[in-house]
Amino acid sequence: MDASMAGTILAAIFTLAIFSLLYRDNPFYRFAEHLLVGVSAGYYVVHYFSSAVLRKFAYPVFVSQDWWLLPGGLLGLLMLFRLSRHTQWVSRYAIAFYVAAWSGYLIPSVIQERVLVQIQGTIPQLIGATPGAVIGALILLVGVTTILVYFYFSAEHRGALNSLSRIGITFLMIGFGASFGYTVMGRVSLLIGRFQFLFQEVPEVLGL
Amino acid sequence: MKKTGPVILGFLVGILMLVQYFTPNAWIEARYNNVLDWKQVVFGMTLILGVVSLFLYHWRKISRRQSGWGYSVVTIGGLLFMIFAALIWSPEAGPYRWMFDYVQAPMQATMFALLAFYVASASYRAFRARGFHAALLLTAGVIVMLGRVPLGELIGVRIGETHISLATISSWILDYPNLAAKRGVMIGVGLGMTATAIKIIVGIERTYLGRGA
Amino acid sequence: MADEGHSHRRSGRLIELLTNVDRRIIFLVIALAVALPLLFPLNLPVRPSREATAYFEALEALDPGDVIIFSFDYEPDTMAELDPMSLATLRHAFRKDLRVIALTNYPGGPGIALRNLEQAATEYGKQPGTDYVFLGYNPDYSATMLRMGESIQATFPTDHSQTPTAEIPLLQEANSYADIPLLVTVTASALAEYWIIWAGGKYGQKIITGNTAIQAVLIYPYYQTGQLAGFLGGLKGAAEYEKLLELPGTGILGMDAQSMAHLLIVLFILLGNVGFFLQRRAARNGGAN
Repeated sequence: MDASMAGTILAAIFTLAIFSLLYRDNPFYRFAEHLLVGVSAGYYVVHYFSSAVLRKFAYPVFVSQDWWLLPGGLLGLLMLFRLSRHTQWVSRYAIAFYVAAWSGYLIPSVIQERVLVQIQGTIPQLIGATPGAVIGALILLVGVTTILVYFYFSAEHRGALNSLSRIGITFLMIGFGASFGYTVMGRVSLLIGRFQFLFQEVPEVLGL
Repeated sequence: MKKTGPVILGFLVGILMLVQYFTPNAWIEARYNNVLDWKQVVFGMTLILGVVSLFLYHWRKISRRQSGWGYSVVTIGGLLFMIFAALIWSPEAGPYRWMFDYVQAPMQATMFALLAFYVASASYRAFRARGFHAALLLTAGVIVMLGRVPLGELIGVRIGETHISLATISSWILDYPNLAAKRGVMIGVGLGMTATAIKIIVGIERTYLGRGA
Repeated sequence: MADEGHSHRRSGRLIELLTNVDRRIIFLVIALAVALPLLFPLNLPVRPSREATAYFEALEALDPGDVIIFSFDYEPDTMAELDPMSLATLRHAFRKDLRVIALTNYPGGPGIALRNLEQAATEYGKQPGTDYVFLGYNPDYSATMLRMGESIQATFPTDHSQTPTAEIPLLQEANSYADIPLLVTVTASALAEYWIIWAGGKYGQKIITGNTAIQAVLIYPYYQTGQLAGFLGGLKGAAEYEKLLELPGTGILGMDAQSMAHLLIVLFILLGNVGFFLQRRAARNGGAN
């Protein structure tokens, strides 16, 4: 028996151990669950270390002698102060640096790509469009506008504002319905993957 | 030092990263690149810290012989085995990769595959058309569910030369009302993200720094 | 009176039957609905959608020797949906003699990336370093995406196996988005949106994405505006792409099971609602009596 065959048998056993939860909670499931947490954490931490510490800090600083990377390592080390309640405040410098940097480059990009370009895409281009396209474009315009009215909380939703926001809710419900349909699709696909493994891959590897 | 210092640092870094979007200045661009590099190291260290916390949690459970401590031994055993396997062999081959291929990957995949059963159960027991909007949600869901699989192509009616199938209706739902819904939410969330980001840079929003900041 | 009582009892039993089904029976039925079509295929026809065709054509339009970026932005939890897309895309790329710079923004991604890359490269006789390179995992996706617009070598000073990227021939030719005509991300999260915002928005990078079904529904607005050149949605998207490539894989093989499971879930919703309405009517009648 080679390593791949042994691995496939083990993978099938663990797959069944996880599926056993469907009957009820049991020690096989709990063993598999805890092993998964441990192995995953071990797998991740190796990649965290080799990418963040070796690749992005040690290699550029000590091999390429790019000293501009040194502050990154120091900021990273500040995170370790979180391990003690008394020194936790030191890590705030690293957190503030990280979150503020993200905020800084997020603002222009989000405004441009998630707001302005989307508004541009909602304005109907009616010249030369087919009747179907015109209807579609108008539905899009009404939908986006009424949903934004629904999210407008600076005034009480009464009268026209209430009617418009109710149209917005209708669009949102259709959107949630589509999400629900796709969610079912995604979950079923994951099950198909495991059954393909159990019913097709395992017998193939075992020569059944 | 404990409260204002981090906010001042955040303000300076935030402004630098904001300004770089609008200027081709070489010095600013070089510092922008530095900040991006440093950010990756900080993020990586944060993740390592998360694994250290997981280790300490299970270690405490074992040392205090708390209920289920035996399972914590399994977790710590798995964690340490992977670290030593990567150190002794390599992260690209040997037991480290074997454990990923035959232990972690199949179990993680199965864990999420369980959700198919729960979604089926919830469909039977929870999804009720209690009112107009709920009925609309369910109808759209059912059309998309059937319309987005090969079976949906086969269910439909022929009007003249045109075959209108569930797949056609499903595509229309996705292209128009669904798109409007997703875009409306996207614009709203985009504006919300921007407002929060501005509040973070100017120091109004500090909750992310933890208690007492 | 006796007839009415009998009818009430019968309707009560029906309500009981419809509303109190053991969840394990539902689990068993759904398992059969997925397993049986895998063992006894129906071969339902798969018709490519407009979005999948656009995804295919974006790759098809490239010339031999062009370099693409391929980002494996997922972990084993969604590999059933996304691995067929990754493998099909890599086969398409290598079949066209495109060169691939691969990376992942997920710590659980390297194992998946290596497996797919090695399989496709072996099938088409491609060599690491010249035909493809795997850069590995980098923490902080947004900084990675932005930094790659300036320099891939600086973003990844070494590749996955710790080889300095400055020494890799492929990266000497292609070192930023400016040198790369197409970026592909196969993702289980909002990372497709972030590639669009940062690589697409800031650097004008052309992008196509493979998405889980859950994520695909959120991506339509970007496709309509042209920020996204094409996309695949869920296992069905993978099947459509396999059909276009004429390389059947696990996507197409899974479509019968997918259809049957969806049909069954629709039936569950209908039966559940019939039970609900009967129960509501019985409660109203009981109240009236």
